[in-house]
Amino acid sequence: MESARLPSDPRARTPGAEPEMLMDEPQDRLQLDSRLSELSIVVPWAEALSDRYGLREETRYAVNLCLEEALANVVQHGYNNEPGHPIVIEAYVSAGSLFFAVEDKAPPFAPVDPGERTPRPLVLDAMEPGGNGIRLIHRFAGSVSYEPLPDGNRLTIGFPLSIAKKASA
Amino acid sequence: MTISTEPMDGEVTRVILDGRLDIQGSAAIDLKMNVLAGSSKFLLLDLTNVSFLGSMGLRSIVLPAQTVKRRGGKMALFNPSPMVEEVLKASNIDEIIPIYHDLDAAVAALR
Repeated sequence: MESARLPSDPRARTPGAEPEMLMDEPQDRLQLDSRLSELSIVVPWAEALSDRYGLREETRYAVNLCLEEALANVVQHGYNNEPGHPIVIEAYVSAGSLFFAVEDKAPPFAPVDPGERTPRPLVLDAMEPGGNGIRLIHRFAGSVSYEPLPDGNRLTIGFPLSIAKKASA
Repeated sequence: MTISTEPMDGEVTRVILDGRLDIQGSAAIDLKMNVLAGSSKFLLLDLTNVSFLGSMGLRSIVLPAQTVKRRGGKMALFNPSPMVEEVLKASNIDEIIPIYHDLDAAVAALR
């Protein structure tokens, strides 16, 4: 898929800009270690990207939520909470949406929407406190796609830049 | 994420959360929430100042709610922001732990 930058991206408006002009701009690629504490890096990065693209509050929330759930899923289930493994998040814009591709080198794991698979228990005692992460990604992202890699996984989450949210649709 | 409590009439404890209830926020309040769930009969979880709720934060709500219920008590959620409420509804939490936006109604439902 070919990606493109929006006009609001300074690098799109000022070709040939000096590198120092871009110091405050968030990088499009984030390399993380497989620790939940890495969320402290992801949140400000996602906020900076949200600022760059002028995301509405609802979309900004959805981006934060889906990235947290994706990171937690990889760390807890993909890598079994074992630090020292790579997670790479790459952001790009294509066809009017902001996409985040989350790549890991964990065993294959397709994040099927559990909402399409099993009904939730409606009794407090029977409710499992976990298992909501994938459901939330599917509810709050504009698009979710999964691709197995030769040595890992790629989860791509998209957010339409002109549509606030999907959950209340 | 900060947590504070305020005793109310009728054995209701108002638990006021402030900040992001994300992975780090839930880790910061879990111990206190467990203590409150083991010692209070009725918990009113005030979400007015919670700016973000993720699945780890949901655990910090569901587990104490289960503990309180096992002890014969109840938990209710008060005044979440629209996006926080959407997370609660997307997870069906609202169907087992009621959400109120009126304080008097929340307290009355707990007693």
